[in-house]
Formats: sequence, C-alpha cells, structure tokens
Amino acid sequence: MVDIAYPIETRTLANGLRVVVSPDHTVPMVTVNLWVDVGSRHEVPGRTGFAHLFEHLMFQGSRNVTSGEHFEALMAEGGRLNATTWFDRTNYFETLPVEAFELALWLEADRHGHLLDAVTQENLDNQRDVVKEEKRQRYDNVPYGNALIDVYATLFPEGHPYHHPTIGSMDDLDAATLDDVHTFFRTHYGPNNTVLTVVGDVDPPRAFEAVERYFGELPAITLPPAREPQVLEPLTEPVRLERHSDVPNDRLYLAFRLPVEGAPDFDAAEIAVDILAGLSTSRLVERLVRTEQSATGVDASAWGFVDGVSLGLFTVDIAADHDAAAVEAAFCAELDRFAVEGPTDVELETAKAQAERWWLSTLASQEQRADLISRYTLHGDDPAYVCTYLAKVAAVTGEQVRAAAAAYLTAQRRATVAYLTSDEESDV
Amino acid sequence: MTQPRPAVGAPTAWAFPQPASHRLDTGLSVLAYDVPGQYVASVRLVVPFPLRSEPAPLEGVAALMARTLDEGTDAHTSSEMASLLERSGTVLSAATGESGLAVDVDVPMPKLGTALDLLRQCLDEPVFPPNEVHRHVQSRLAEIEQDRSTPARRAMLQLVRTIFDPADRASRPAGGSPETVARVDSAAIAAFHGDHLRADGATLVVSGALPGDLTSVVAGTLGGWQGAPGRVGVETTAPVYAADRARIVVVDRPGSVQAELLVAAPGPDRRTPMGWAAYPVLSFLVGGSPSARVDAVLREEKGYTYGIRSGFRPRRVGGLFVTAGSVRADVAVPALELLLGILDGARDGFTSEETRRGVDFVAKTAPGRYATADAIADEAATMAMDGLTTDFTTELLGKVRALTPDALTQAYREVVDGSWTVVVVGDAESLVEGLTGLGRGDVSVVEA
Repeated sequence: MVDIAYPIETRTLANGLRVVVSPDHTVPMVTVNLWVDVGSRHEVPGRTGFAHLFEHLMFQGSRNVTSGEHFEALMAEGGRLNATTWFDRTNYFETLPVEAFELALWLEADRHGHLLDAVTQENLDNQRDVVKEEKRQRYDNVPYGNALIDVYATLFPEGHPYHHPTIGSMDDLDAATLDDVHTFFRTHYGPNNTVLTVVGDVDPPRAFEAVERYFGELPAITLPPAREPQVLEPLTEPVRLERHSDVPNDRLYLAFRLPVEGAPDFDAAEIAVDILAGLSTSRLVERLVRTEQSATGVDASAWGFVDGVSLGLFTVDIAADHDAAAVEAAFCAELDRFAVEGPTDVELETAKAQAERWWLSTLASQEQRADLISRYTLHGDDPAYVCTYLAKVAAVTGEQVRAAAAAYLTAQRRATVAYLTSDEESDV
Repeated sequence: MTQPRPAVGAPTAWAFPQPASHRLDTGLSVLAYDVPGQYVASVRLVVPFPLRSEPAPLEGVAALMARTLDEGTDAHTSSEMASLLERSGTVLSAATGESGLAVDVDVPMPKLGTALDLLRQCLDEPVFPPNEVHRHVQSRLAEIEQDRSTPARRAMLQLVRTIFDPADRASRPAGGSPETVARVDSAAIAAFHGDHLRADGATLVVSGALPGDLTSVVAGTLGGWQGAPGRVGVETTAPVYAADRARIVVVDRPGSVQAELLVAAPGPDRRTPMGWAAYPVLSFLVGGSPSARVDAVLREEKGYTYGIRSGFRPRRVGGLFVTAGSVRADVAVPALELLLGILDGARDGFTSEETRRGVDFVAKTAPGRYATADAIADEAATMAMDGLTTDFTTELLGKVRALTPDALTQAYREVVDGSWTVVVVGDAESLVEGLTGLGRGDVSVVEA
C-alpha cells in the first residue's frame, strides 16, 4: 500500500466556522473549498429543488459584489470555480493563483455572510429559468434522463429525505419565492454550518489568519434542532417500476439500501458492490458481459449518504435480442450466490488494489483533495480521513464483505427500475 | 463586510514541466515528467497513423482494435488479462482518433513496471479472440444507437456529415458506422494491428513521482516491443470541407422539450500562420463562462439555456470552431438568431479589458490546469499526437501573454466570415418555418 501523508491542520473560529488547511507547495496555486451543511435532504414539501436553485443565486451578487462578478473577477485572476448541490450538502470552490487567495476569501465571505442585500426578483426569475433548462437538458430531453429520479422514488419511501432528487420538480421551482430565499439563507447559511478548507501553496498560520480576517466577523446562526436520522432498513421484498419509452436499449437499474457512510459495514458493502459489478473482472461483468453476452455493459457503485441510509446502484445495459427478465434473473442468482460464498482472495485483493488507485488518483488534484477534506470534516468530523481511508479498506476481511452482501445485497432486497424499449409488450 | 476588497499581486513565475527524454533502439520516444507528490503514474502511449488508412468498408476497425488490445494475448485469456491488470491496480483504456491510437494507463507508482509489461503484452501479443471481438462489435453498435438518441451527440454526428465533404473520412464517425462496424472481425483487426502498430515513431509519456530507475524499468518492459517493421505515415492531409456547408439542418426529434443548437465553421489548427495563441483566449471570451459574450445574453439575460459553450477544435490539419448548447424548445429560433448575431458581431473586435481578462484566464490558470500527473501526461500525449512537444505548450503561454486586442480581432476574423453550418436537433415541425425566416441558408430536415 502506498503510504500517503498530507499535512492537515484545523481550527474553529469563535463563530463556529471549521477551517482546515493542508499546505501543498508543488504549484503556486491554492484551492478554497466550502461545504455548507444543506442539501436537497433538508428541503420541505412543495419546495424540492430549492437548495440547488439557491446555489445559483449565490453567483448573482451580494452586498459588495454585483451579479456575475464572482465568476468574472475570479476567472480574470486565473481562477477556475463552480458550486454543486447534492442530497447532503452544497459546495462552493475555486482554485486560483495564490496571489488571489484573499480575493477569493473576500468574495466568499461577502456572499456567505451578506447575500440577501443583493437578491432580487429579477435574479430569482432568471436563475429559475436557467435551472429549468438544466433540468430539461440533463433529465427530460435525454434517454434514461429521469431514471435516477425513479430510482430514488422507488427505493426510498415518500417523505424520506432521499425520495426526491436534487433538481426538484418544475412545479416546485415555479413556486419558489423571494421569501423562501431569505428564509433558506437565514436557516442554513452561517459559519457554524460550514466547513472551509484551504489546500495549496499557503502556510497554515497565514491561511488561518486570512480566513479569520474575512470570515471572523460573520455571525453564527441559530441552527434548527438536530433531528434523528431517518434510518431505513434494507427492503424485505423486491419492488419494481417499469417505464416503456423511446430508449435505445433496455436498461435495468437495480438499487439497494446500504448503511450510512461511516457505519462499520459501509466499506465492506462498497467492496462487495465493486466485486459484484464495479470492476472489469467483477462477477456480473464476467458472466453477463463476457460469457453470456446478454449485457453490453454492467456498472455499479456505492453512494455514501449521511441520513439513515446509503444507495448501492447497479446498471445493466441489455444486449439486443436478449430478454431483460432473464438477465435480471441471472443478476439475482449471482447476488445470492455471492452472499453465501463471499469473495475469493483474488477478488478481495483486486477490489482493494483498484480502490487504492482510485483514491490516490482522486487525491492527486488540489481541488478534489480539498473537496474530500471538507466532506469528511463536515460529515464525520475527520479531516484526516483522506490519509486513513486506505488503511481502513485494507483491513476489511472477506467475511465482512460476505456478511455485508448478505445483509444488504441480495435479490430479495432489490428495487428494480426497468427502462424498456417502447415496442415491447407491457406486463404492468 | 468591513474588510476592504484585497488587491491581487502578479502571479508567481511558472513553466510547464520539462521532460527527460530519450529514444529506445526500437524507435520509441520516451518522455518522463517527474511530478513530486503524485502517487499514481499516468502513462500515455501514442502511436500515430492516419485514420483514413482504414479500409473504407471496415471503418471502425481501428477503434475496435483499440478496444480489444487487452482482450487476450498468446499467454493469457481475456479474463486473465483483465485480472492481471486490475490486481496490480492498473486501469487501461485505448481509443483512436484521426491521427492514431492513444493508450492510457494509470497505476500506483510501485506497480509501474508490472503495468508497463502488461501494456507491452497487449501491444505485442494480442490475439483478438473472435468471441471478444464479437462482443465489442455489439457494444459499438449499441453505442451508435445511444449516440443517435442523445441530442448533443446526434448534433455532432450531423455536423461532421454536413460541414465536411461526404467523400472525406472526417465526415463520418471515427468509430465507424453500423454497416462497417458489423463487418469487422478478428482477422480484420489483426491485419490492421499488424500494419499499423510499431514502436518506431510512437511516443511513451510517463508522469508522476518517478522512480530513479525509470529508464531501466521502461527498457525492461516496453523496450521489448518492436511491432511490425517499416514506418507508417502520419496524418498530414487537410480535410475537405463541403462546398454547400453554409446551411441549416434540422434533425427531427418530435416532441423535444429543448432544441440542441450547434453552430460551426472551419477552424484553424495549431500551426496556423495567425498563431494558435489567440484561439484559447477567443474560446473563453466568446463562449467559455457564464459571463462570456454568448451566455451573458442567452443565459444570464434571457434565461434560455443552462449554458452554451464555444471552442476551437484543432485537427492535425484544419479544424472546427464550434458553439453548442441546448435551449428551451419554444425560443429556439430567437435564441439561434441572437447566437448568430453575437458570433458575427465579435468580428467587430475585442476591447482591451476583455483581452486582459481572457489572457489572464488562460495564462494564470495554467499552473492549476497542469498540476497533476494526469493532466501533464494528457497534454504531452495531445502534443505527441499532433507531432509536437510540450515546448509548444510552454511557448504558447508566452505568446498568450503578449496578445493584443488587435491580434484577437484579426485571428477571429480569419475564421469567422458570417457563413455557418447550423445543426438543430429538435421538433422539426415547430422549427422549420422560423429557421427558414432567418435567411441563414437552406433549411433541410433529416430523421434522428
């Protein structure tokens, strides 16, 4: 195993902002990455998609910054930047020459502290339109575009935080008001609900001092009382949804409830997912793609979440002239066999070797390293997780993988979303 | 905010990393980029050959060769090879373009030798088992169907079909069409492999925190690969653009909730006498961000789109200037009219303020864009495929910093003369009348 050691220092400001600094002097650049503990899982009924729409408004100006200036000012200094919204968080990030480090902090502090001074109905309406085009482009106008939305709704019950997608619904986007923007900002955007990570060509004392200078004056907010996680046990009976539409080939999405990230058996479940279908030597690839050639592709990954459940997702593209139901039966048989047999030594070694390369490749860039540090600081309070993850993976045993597969990844525990070509007979 | 807005100082000097280079007896050039702190080796092998040397009835054979190189050798079955690669932490992929084959290998540095030896076996001893070839043919056919049904990809297929002369290889998909792909078998791939893959003229890039004995690791592994004797020519033929390319083609996708717009013109290559330096800056200023000229109007003012991007895409000779993105279906015609107006209007020139912003973006982002072993290897491989080295990249950054508003304007005018190839993927019935009314050339409709 490659021994990795990234230096990491942490500090919490008086207002609750958690700051992590990891110096890296290999190039004269710095990454500033913020994770705010708000995502689509915090949305209220009738306002799905709001966390993401709000994220767009963070680029439309704040107290001392005009609309669009955040992007423009940082790019003109050699910054590459963006923001994304997910179930469990919203992140904001830029990588730029170290000389522009304080400008980035100033711009971030202005919008994270003083957004509402600049929000207008015009900006809200404009970005609502932009987000609706994003939804049309990514979901509504492409084959299988709404499949993941179907997966969430099929696997997670109505009312659960992961039942609805981050993009939301058109009706809910239409319903969003300026009042919602104000309430959302006051409820979720505050230093004590945020992690700020700095990775790059800056020494920790200077970085802490600069973050303090720009963020120290932001007041803490009153956070809503923490609620219990909405724990979901694995399904006990299979559930399924079939869509008949104009797709190029039949595709199956097979989804499973996994334990939350950070739970003792999450890593074992993730390895089980890889051995079943995440690698080119995986069992399902070997059988369905190489041997039977009943599928043109099989893929899988484990998506770690924080609120009571995670997602294990498999996709199977059915080969022309093959029957989706038969392929699904073979899929189920392989899962149930694995839950009894567990992995071979070679399978376990292979999965760990691939996990190592994937993790090291991910950490290779300052941007992604900063994002992972923010992630594991916000969720798990473990900034050094980037350095310890591989040792945890190395320690997982074959029996732990088998046990996780038996607990979470059997045929009986699956939710199937089938996208079938429209000329087939419907059996629903 | 009580703190004043901080000033930004001049950036620290930086240059693209210099490789150590040597050439093996076999003719393979080796470029080694030592990048401290990068635990994963990024390996790229570039084997130049003109894609137009594929037999016409078998177009796609090069792509299928690339995809089946690791599907079994004299010594190992397909599954065994996959296991050898994955157990060592290696990931290997290969693809072809107009100028040749590119193989990507990533592996944790301690296993570099193992990965390079497996790569040697894939290059030197592949057997292209008929059963695996059959599988990849089926996959490629399925992929073609996916391309056909995905608006952005369908638009690109229609663009090359429209802007290049139908007799030119560039007018057809690099990976082949259904009829030609279906003809490809193991024997055809083996023949193509035998004729085209050789070390002489190829380039190996290795990037990362390199071991001290890299030269001997390479010699002891890939050094054993010679390939077929002789040399293969490289791509130097200019593509022929279609005489009737200035027109609008609608790809009918009834009921689409968006229209995919694609606007293009013939563009420069990296050797253009105008100097390539202006073009990355122009890409940024015209369509490279939400505040670039296109999205400042179509996204931030009108809300018609999630984003439209412009870019100059160089080929070995010639190239394309492409602007693409999707807009709400019911505003497709006014959106296209605005877009063409912005693209044409940029012929009037760029201000010094814009020039400064564009130059600073391209020049100052470079240290970050090329910070990882992966990005350095990609750039070196791109240059090698184009018959250049990363000296080009280094010199380019100097030339970018020296650009003036005049130079940008001249470079843009060299490409943009107001005649455009336009592809619109969307609901033809609701589009054709409005598109015809724009007076931007003949409007024809094709099936998706």
